[in-house]
Amino acid sequence: MPNSAYKVAISYFILFSFLLLGSGAWIFAQKIGFSYHSVLSYYLGDTATFASPKTYEGVLKTILPHIFAFGLFVMVVLHFVIFTTKRNTKEFTTLIYLAFLSAFFEIFSPFMILEGFEFFAYIKIFSFFLFEGTVLYTLFILFKSIFYN
Amino acid sequence: MRFTLIKNVKEDKAMKPLLNGLLLFILLYILFDIFVKSHTMGLSVSTVTTTLFGNADEFLDPMNESVFLEFVHMQIFFLMMILLTLSAVYARLLHKKSKTVLMLNILLFTALLTPLSLVAAYFYSAEFIGIYLFTFFTWHIVAFYMATASLWELNCAK
Repeated sequence: MPNSAYKVAISYFILFSFLLLGSGAWIFAQKIGFSYHSVLSYYLGDTATFASPKTYEGVLKTILPHIFAFGLFVMVVLHFVIFTTKRNTKEFTTLIYLAFLSAFFEIFSPFMILEGFEFFAYIKIFSFFLFEGTVLYTLFILFKSIFYN
Repeated sequence: MRFTLIKNVKEDKAMKPLLNGLLLFILLYILFDIFVKSHTMGLSVSTVTTTLFGNADEFLDPMNESVFLEFVHMQIFFLMMILLTLSAVYARLLHKKSKTVLMLNILLFTALLTPLSLVAAYFYSAEFIGIYLFTFFTWHIVAFYMATASLWELNCAK
Protein backbone atom coordinates (compact mmCIF):
# COMPACT_ATOMS: atom_id res chain seq x y z
CA MET A 1 0.00 0.00 0.00
CA PRO A 2 1.20 3.53 -0.75
CA ASN A 3 1.77 4.48 2.89
CA SER A 4 4.35 7.21 2.29
CA ALA A 5 2.10 8.93 -0.25
CA TYR A 6 -0.84 8.84 2.16
CA LYS A 7 1.37 10.23 4.91
CA VAL A 8 2.29 13.17 2.66
CA ALA A 9 -1.38 13.83 1.85
CA ILE A 10 -2.45 13.65 5.50
CA SER A 11 0.46 15.83 6.63
CA TYR A 12 -0.62 18.58 4.26
CA PHE A 13 -4.23 18.04 5.29
CA ILE A 14 -3.16 18.80 8.87
CA LEU A 15 -1.49 22.03 7.69
CA PHE A 16 -4.61 23.01 5.74
CA SER A 17 -6.67 22.31 8.86
CA PHE A 18 -4.50 24.73 10.85
CA LEU A 19 -5.14 27.36 8.18
CA LEU A 20 -8.87 26.67 8.25
CA LEU A 21 -9.06 26.91 12.05
CA GLY A 22 -6.84 29.99 12.05
CA SER A 23 -8.85 31.81 9.40
CA GLY A 24 -12.07 30.84 11.21
CA ALA A 25 -10.76 32.33 14.47
CA TRP A 26 -9.59 35.43 12.61
CA ILE A 27 -13.05 35.95 11.07
CA PHE A 28 -14.70 35.38 14.48
CA ALA A 29 -12.40 37.94 16.10
CA GLN A 30 -12.81 40.46 13.29
CA LYS A 31 -16.58 40.21 12.76
CA ILE A 32 -17.96 39.16 16.14
CA GLY A 33 -15.29 39.44 18.84
CA PHE A 34 -14.60 37.12 21.76
CA SER A 35 -16.33 39.04 24.54
CA TYR A 36 -19.88 38.49 25.84
CA HIS A 37 -20.93 42.04 24.90
CA SER A 38 -19.41 41.92 21.41
CA VAL A 39 -21.30 38.68 20.65
CA LEU A 40 -24.55 40.22 21.86
CA SER A 41 -24.06 43.45 19.95
CA TYR A 42 -23.18 41.51 16.78
CA TYR A 43 -26.43 39.50 16.88
CA LEU A 44 -28.80 41.91 18.64
CA GLY A 45 -27.42 45.14 17.21
CA ASP A 46 -25.93 48.13 18.98
CA THR A 47 -27.27 51.68 18.84
CA ALA A 48 -23.88 53.09 19.89
CA THR A 49 -22.14 51.66 16.83
CA PHE A 50 -25.22 51.84 14.57
CA ALA A 51 -25.02 48.05 14.10
CA SER A 52 -28.35 46.60 13.02
CA PRO A 53 -29.57 43.35 14.61
CA LYS A 54 -29.21 40.11 12.68
CA THR A 55 -32.31 38.46 11.26
CA TYR A 56 -33.14 34.75 11.40
CA GLU A 57 -32.80 34.65 7.62
CA GLY A 58 -29.36 36.28 7.75
CA VAL A 59 -28.11 33.86 10.42
CA LEU A 60 -29.54 30.91 8.49
CA LYS A 61 -27.66 31.96 5.35
CA THR A 62 -24.40 31.91 7.32
CA ILE A 63 -24.97 28.67 9.17
CA LEU A 64 -26.31 26.60 6.26
CA PRO A 65 -22.94 26.02 4.52
CA HIS A 66 -21.33 25.64 7.96
CA ILE A 67 -23.62 22.73 8.93
CA PHE A 68 -22.32 20.74 5.96
CA ALA A 69 -18.73 21.99 6.26
CA PHE A 70 -18.40 21.33 10.02
CA GLY A 71 -19.86 17.84 9.67
CA LEU A 72 -17.62 16.90 6.77
CA PHE A 73 -14.49 18.46 8.25
CA VAL A 74 -14.95 16.84 11.67
CA MET A 75 -15.67 13.45 10.11
CA VAL A 76 -12.60 13.61 7.82
CA VAL A 77 -10.22 14.77 10.58
CA LEU A 78 -11.49 12.26 13.14
CA HIS A 79 -11.61 9.29 10.79
CA PHE A 80 -7.82 9.50 10.38
CA VAL A 81 -7.52 8.71 14.11
CA ILE A 82 -8.82 5.20 13.27
CA PHE A 83 -5.41 4.54 11.71
CA THR A 84 -3.56 5.48 14.90
CA THR A 85 -3.06 3.71 18.23
CA LYS A 86 -5.92 5.80 19.70
CA ARG A 87 -8.45 3.69 17.81
CA ASN A 88 -11.03 2.02 20.09
CA THR A 89 -10.07 4.14 23.09
CA LYS A 90 -12.36 6.15 25.35
CA GLU A 91 -10.34 9.24 24.49
CA PHE A 92 -11.24 8.88 20.81
CA THR A 93 -14.94 8.39 21.59
CA THR A 94 -14.84 11.49 23.82
CA LEU A 95 -13.18 13.48 21.03
CA ILE A 96 -15.91 12.46 18.58
CA TYR A 97 -18.72 13.56 20.93
CA LEU A 98 -16.92 16.77 21.94
CA ALA A 99 -16.23 17.77 18.35
CA PHE A 100 -19.77 17.22 17.09
CA LEU A 101 -21.47 18.68 20.18
CA SER A 102 -19.29 21.80 20.25
CA ALA A 103 -19.83 22.26 16.50
CA PHE A 104 -23.61 21.95 17.03
CA PHE A 105 -23.70 24.58 19.79
CA GLU A 106 -21.31 26.86 17.91
CA ILE A 107 -23.56 26.80 14.86
CA PHE A 108 -26.99 27.00 16.52
CA SER A 109 -26.42 29.23 19.57
CA PRO A 110 -27.05 32.45 17.54
CA PHE A 111 -30.71 31.40 17.18
CA MET A 112 -31.06 31.21 20.96
CA ILE A 113 -29.44 34.65 21.29
CA LEU A 114 -31.98 36.05 18.82
CA GLU A 115 -34.73 34.35 20.87
CA GLY A 116 -33.64 36.43 23.87
CA PHE A 117 -31.54 33.87 25.77
CA GLU A 118 -28.55 36.15 26.10
CA PHE A 119 -26.43 33.71 28.12
CA PHE A 120 -26.07 31.73 24.89
CA ALA A 121 -23.42 34.32 23.99
CA TYR A 122 -21.20 32.55 26.53
CA ILE A 123 -22.09 29.20 24.96
CA LYS A 124 -21.23 30.56 21.52
CA ILE A 125 -17.76 31.63 22.70
CA PHE A 126 -17.16 28.52 24.82
CA SER A 127 -18.28 26.10 22.09
CA PHE A 128 -16.08 27.90 19.55
CA PHE A 129 -12.97 27.46 21.69
CA LEU A 130 -13.95 23.91 22.62
CA PHE A 131 -14.35 23.04 18.94
CA GLU A 132 -11.02 24.59 18.00
CA GLY A 133 -9.31 22.89 20.95
CA THR A 134 -10.80 19.49 20.17
CA VAL A 135 -9.79 19.64 16.52
CA LEU A 136 -6.31 20.97 17.39
CA TYR A 137 -5.80 18.10 19.83
CA THR A 138 -6.95 15.62 17.17
CA LEU A 139 -4.51 17.16 14.69
CA PHE A 140 -1.76 16.82 17.31
CA ILE A 141 -2.58 13.09 17.66
CA LEU A 142 -2.37 12.68 13.88
CA PHE A 143 0.87 14.67 13.67
CA LYS A 144 2.44 12.56 16.43
CA SER A 145 1.26 9.38 14.79
CA ILE A 146 2.75 10.31 11.39
CA PHE A 147 6.09 11.62 12.56
CA TYR A 148 6.86 9.73 15.77
CA ASN A 149 5.07 6.36 15.63
CA MET B 1 -12.53 6.08 1.11
CA ARG B 2 -13.32 2.47 0.46
CA PHE B 3 -11.19 2.40 -2.71
CA THR B 4 -8.10 2.39 -0.51
CA LEU B 5 -9.13 -1.03 0.82
CA ILE B 6 -9.96 -2.78 -2.46
CA LYS B 7 -7.02 -4.76 -3.83
CA ASN B 8 -7.52 -4.18 -7.56
CA VAL B 9 -9.52 -1.02 -8.16
CA LYS B 10 -9.17 -1.29 -11.94
CA GLU B 11 -10.99 -4.65 -12.01
CA ASP B 12 -13.69 -3.72 -9.51
CA LYS B 13 -17.02 -3.26 -11.33
CA ALA B 14 -18.38 -0.76 -8.81
CA MET B 15 -15.30 1.24 -7.88
CA LYS B 16 -14.02 1.80 -11.42
CA PRO B 17 -17.03 3.84 -12.69
CA LEU B 18 -17.28 5.59 -9.31
CA LEU B 19 -13.67 6.75 -9.47
CA ASN B 20 -14.08 7.71 -13.15
CA GLY B 21 -17.01 9.93 -12.19
CA LEU B 22 -15.16 11.44 -9.25
CA LEU B 23 -12.07 12.19 -11.34
CA LEU B 24 -14.15 13.75 -14.13
CA PHE B 25 -15.87 16.02 -11.62
CA ILE B 26 -12.51 16.98 -10.10
CA LEU B 27 -11.28 17.85 -13.60
CA LEU B 28 -14.37 19.98 -14.16
CA TYR B 29 -13.83 21.73 -10.82
CA ILE B 30 -10.22 22.52 -11.69
CA LEU B 31 -11.22 23.98 -15.08
CA PHE B 32 -14.20 25.99 -13.85
CA ASP B 33 -12.29 27.25 -10.82
CA ILE B 34 -10.00 29.09 -13.24
CA PHE B 35 -12.98 30.74 -14.98
CA VAL B 36 -14.59 31.71 -11.68
CA LYS B 37 -11.35 33.12 -10.28
CA SER B 38 -10.78 35.13 -13.46
CA HIS B 39 -14.09 36.90 -12.77
CA THR B 40 -13.89 37.21 -8.97
CA MET B 41 -10.21 37.73 -8.13
CA GLY B 42 -8.46 38.11 -11.48
CA LEU B 43 -5.68 36.09 -13.07
CA SER B 44 -3.03 38.74 -13.72
CA VAL B 45 -1.02 40.93 -11.37
CA SER B 46 -2.96 44.05 -12.43
CA THR B 47 -6.45 42.52 -12.09
CA VAL B 48 -5.68 40.95 -8.69
CA THR B 49 -4.18 44.26 -7.51
CA THR B 50 -7.33 46.11 -8.61
CA THR B 51 -9.60 43.54 -6.89
CA LEU B 52 -7.70 43.70 -3.61
CA PHE B 53 -6.79 47.38 -3.41
CA GLY B 54 -9.25 49.07 -5.77
CA ASN B 55 -8.44 51.69 -8.36
CA ALA B 56 -9.04 55.37 -7.70
CA ASP B 57 -8.85 56.25 -11.42
CA GLU B 58 -11.66 53.83 -12.25
CA PHE B 59 -13.60 54.55 -9.00
CA LEU B 60 -13.24 50.93 -7.88
CA ASP B 61 -13.37 50.24 -4.13
CA PRO B 62 -10.83 47.96 -2.42
CA MET B 63 -11.98 44.57 -1.19
CA ASN B 64 -13.53 44.72 2.28
CA GLU B 65 -11.40 42.95 4.93
CA SER B 66 -14.18 40.67 6.17
CA VAL B 67 -15.19 39.78 2.59
CA PHE B 68 -11.56 38.98 1.85
CA LEU B 69 -11.18 36.77 4.95
CA GLU B 70 -14.38 34.89 4.14
CA PHE B 71 -13.14 34.36 0.58
CA VAL B 72 -9.83 32.93 1.84
CA HIS B 73 -11.56 30.80 4.49
CA MET B 74 -13.85 29.26 1.87
CA GLN B 75 -10.97 28.68 -0.52
CA ILE B 76 -8.99 26.81 2.13
CA PHE B 77 -11.94 24.49 2.82
CA PHE B 78 -12.53 23.66 -0.85
CA LEU B 79 -8.80 23.27 -1.54
CA MET B 80 -8.23 20.84 1.32
CA MET B 81 -11.23 18.66 0.51
CA ILE B 82 -10.70 18.52 -3.27
CA LEU B 83 -6.96 17.95 -3.04
CA LEU B 84 -7.14 15.37 -0.27
CA THR B 85 -9.60 13.37 -2.38
CA LEU B 86 -7.50 13.72 -5.54
CA SER B 87 -4.31 12.84 -3.65
CA ALA B 88 -5.88 9.71 -2.18
CA VAL B 89 -7.06 8.49 -5.60
CA TYR B 90 -3.75 9.36 -7.27
CA ALA B 91 -1.72 7.69 -4.49
CA ARG B 92 -3.90 4.57 -4.68
CA LEU B 93 -3.64 4.22 -8.47
CA LEU B 94 -0.08 5.33 -9.08
CA HIS B 95 1.72 4.36 -5.90
CA LYS B 96 4.23 2.24 -7.84
CA LYS B 97 5.54 5.24 -9.79
CA SER B 98 8.64 6.86 -8.34
CA LYS B 99 7.44 10.43 -8.85
CA THR B 100 4.11 10.02 -7.01
CA VAL B 101 5.35 11.45 -3.70
CA LEU B 102 7.11 14.29 -5.54
CA MET B 103 3.93 15.19 -7.46
CA LEU B 104 1.91 15.14 -4.25
CA ASN B 105 4.42 17.42 -2.56
CA ILE B 106 4.39 19.91 -5.45
CA LEU B 107 0.59 19.91 -5.61
CA LEU B 108 -0.04 20.29 -1.90
CA PHE B 109 2.80 22.68 -1.16
CA THR B 110 1.80 25.12 -3.94
CA ALA B 111 -1.87 24.76 -2.96
CA LEU B 112 -0.95 25.56 0.65
CA LEU B 113 1.00 28.63 -0.47
CA THR B 114 -1.90 29.94 -2.59
CA PRO B 115 -4.13 31.28 0.24
CA LEU B 116 -1.09 32.17 2.36
CA SER B 117 0.43 34.34 -0.39
CA LEU B 118 -2.93 36.00 -1.04
CA VAL B 119 -3.21 36.91 2.66
CA ALA B 120 0.39 38.17 2.60
CA ALA B 121 -0.43 40.25 -0.50
CA TYR B 122 -3.48 41.81 1.15
CA PHE B 123 -1.95 42.55 4.55
CA TYR B 124 1.79 42.98 3.86
CA SER B 125 2.90 43.66 0.32
CA ALA B 126 1.36 43.56 -3.16
CA GLU B 127 4.53 41.82 -4.33
CA PHE B 128 3.09 38.55 -3.01
CA ILE B 129 0.49 38.67 -5.81
CA GLY B 130 3.11 37.24 -8.16
CA ILE B 131 3.69 34.30 -5.81
CA TYR B 132 -0.09 33.85 -5.46
CA LEU B 133 -0.53 33.63 -9.23
CA PHE B 134 2.44 31.30 -9.67
CA THR B 135 1.21 28.88 -6.96
CA PHE B 136 -2.41 29.16 -8.19
CA PHE B 137 -1.49 28.13 -11.74
CA THR B 138 1.02 25.50 -10.58
CA TRP B 139 -1.44 23.61 -8.40
CA HIS B 140 -4.09 23.76 -11.12
CA ILE B 141 -1.69 22.35 -13.72
CA VAL B 142 -0.39 19.63 -11.39
CA ALA B 143 -3.92 18.72 -10.25
CA PHE B 144 -5.04 18.54 -13.88
CA TYR B 145 -2.11 16.25 -14.67
CA MET B 146 -2.79 14.05 -11.64
CA ALA B 147 -6.49 13.69 -12.47
CA THR B 148 -5.79 12.80 -16.12
CA ALA B 149 -2.96 10.44 -15.12
CA SER B 150 -5.32 8.71 -12.68
CA LEU B 151 -7.98 8.40 -15.39
CA TRP B 152 -5.39 6.94 -17.77
CA GLU B 153 -4.16 4.49 -15.15
CA LEU B 154 -7.72 3.46 -14.30
CA ASN B 155 -8.90 2.90 -17.88
CA CYS B 156 -6.03 2.59 -20.35
CA ALA B 157 -2.84 1.43 -18.62
CA LYS B 158 -2.06 -2.30 -18.55
